Amino acid sequence: MSARVVARRLGRKLLPRFAPAATLHSHATSFGFKEVNEEEKSKLVGNVFTKVATNYDIMNDFMSGGLHRLWKERMVSKLSPFPGMKHLDVAGGTGDVAFRILETINSVNRRAAEDILEDDLQEETQIYVCDINPNMLDVGKKRAQQRGLGDMGSLVWVEGDAENLTFKDGSMDGYTIAFGIRNVTHIEKVLAEAYRVLKKGGRFLCLELSHVDTPVFKQLYDYYSFSVIPVLGELVAGDRDSYQYLVESVRRFPPQEVFASMIADAGFQKVEYENLVGGVVAIHSGLKI
Amino acid sequence: MHRSVARRLLRYSFFFSSSSSCATNQTPFLPIRIATPGFRFRFLSSATSPFPFPFPPDPSDSNSNDDFSARNRSDTHTSSSSGGTSTTPPRANYEEEQARVLAASLHHVIRSGWTEAAMIAGARDIGVSPSIVGAISRKEGALVEYFMDECLQKLIDIIDSGELQLQDLVPSERIAKLIKVRLQMQAPYISKWPQALSIQAQPSNISTSFKQRAMLVDEFWHASNDEGSGVDWYLKRTVVGGIYSATEIYMLTDNSTDFDDTWTFLNERVRDAFDLKKTYQEVKYFAEAVGAGLGQGFTKKKGF
Repeated sequence: MSARVVARRLGRKLLPRFAPAATLHSHATSFGFKEVNEEEKSKLVGNVFTKVATNYDIMNDFMSGGLHRLWKERMVSKLSPFPGMKHLDVAGGTGDVAFRILETINSVNRRAAEDILEDDLQEETQIYVCDINPNMLDVGKKRAQQRGLGDMGSLVWVEGDAENLTFKDGSMDGYTIAFGIRNVTHIEKVLAEAYRVLKKGGRFLCLELSHVDTPVFKQLYDYYSFSVIPVLGELVAGDRDSYQYLVESVRRFPPQEVFASMIADAGFQKVEYENLVGGVVAIHSGLKI
Repeated sequence: MHRSVARRLLRYSFFFSSSSSCATNQTPFLPIRIATPGFRFRFLSSATSPFPFPFPPDPSDSNSNDDFSARNRSDTHTSSSSGGTSTTPPRANYEEEQARVLAASLHHVIRSGWTEAAMIAGARDIGVSPSIVGAISRKEGALVEYFMDECLQKLIDIIDSGELQLQDLVPSERIAKLIKVRLQMQAPYISKWPQALSIQAQPSNISTSFKQRAMLVDEFWHASNDEGSGVDWYLKRTVVGGIYSATEIYMLTDNSTDFDDTWTFLNERVRDAFDLKKTYQEVKYFAEAVGAGLGQGFTKKKGF
């Protein structure tokens, strides 16, 4: 109660000083810790991912010690995919999440075929992988060929913007975004688009690097992110700046509770989040009714 | 439907409020659905306060928090402008939708069992994306619990309507009849019932299923107008719980028409229990008599 009063008072005091600045830079956004123009941000993020595309999965393994596989596995198991599903994986250019979903569905399918007749299964499973960056999609397509998933027709590769999806309203059963929402310019727009394309009963799941609050672990994690990761990036991928951006953008991303309330504001129900490894990553989920 | 449960519980607590020994017994039998928290509600209520979330201080850039707080401020505006009307109804909506999916899933249980497949089929039937099944925690467990809740409701409704004419029966017949009515409800699912029992026995579900059974047994005693209290209270409920479970298991392998063998078995067990009660009382009287006799003998001896 008192905090609210203090906040209001502070807001009144600070507003006159910041209001003109705020209107002046209304189109300013963050790129890591730097303030940049909105148009510039998408270009800069695009550059980062064009640069890291080829080494993306190797670097993920290096930085997380292979843990990112478990995190993605966890998200897919939370999604509980089913045969005949229409799923949209946004910012999933290299196909990591899409392959996992497809494999889960295939195993579910085999199990289901044994004990029940799935007569109402004319609908085919379709997983749309949407990414703004064609280089990332190319990596994904190549990997799909190597895995033997390329010719099945269940995977559809779409180049598109998460803030402005080309899919129809209410066309998807599931929506996942793994390590992607941090890089977009307007999180609210992405959430609104996710809500739009989902069917009634469809689910939104987001896997994202998040905030650590445990005291000692936080210091360790900060040291690791600011001192180790950029060096790793330089050694393995030969690109220090992109990984500096990565750790900075994680710090700029809203904390778990704030992001959860943003999801709820977009219209989702049963908004929950689960911290993994003490909050290094968090899985947020929401349900559209 | 829920109102009738609440009414009963209220009546129940009122009834026992005079005897302090039984007041503690009510706590395990609170209705389960009321206890499930609404997550959305929590988030929304926290989003309306100006400083709802602790911002981690950023050592390397002092300006970095401005973006968050600005965004958060705008959030506060949007959520407060959208008003309180949007906060409460959606939450109920979600639970309603889940209940609808579970109800539709029951039609598929006979074919697919108490499985996720049945729930997916149920969701398809009512035009909801089967994705919703992923949002239901303890999927199969939730389905079985929903069924148990529905059956209890049905039982209460039947008792309230008075069509069983329990007042014309003696207590042992009342109990037998109530158990029979309840077990007949799961007769259509009998081929899949072993699976339901195994789901109920899973560690994550066992606490809820235990509560549901306790509520059910409680309902049996209520409807049979038992007004006892004290240590007897536990004994009676344990015995009826035992009879119910034994009959439930017997029913699984019963191939007779309309489960005739099961009902014979049930009647015999109820009779056994009431005989046991009689025997227990007889033993008690006998012991008292012997004790009195001994005491008399002792005083006589002393006086002698």
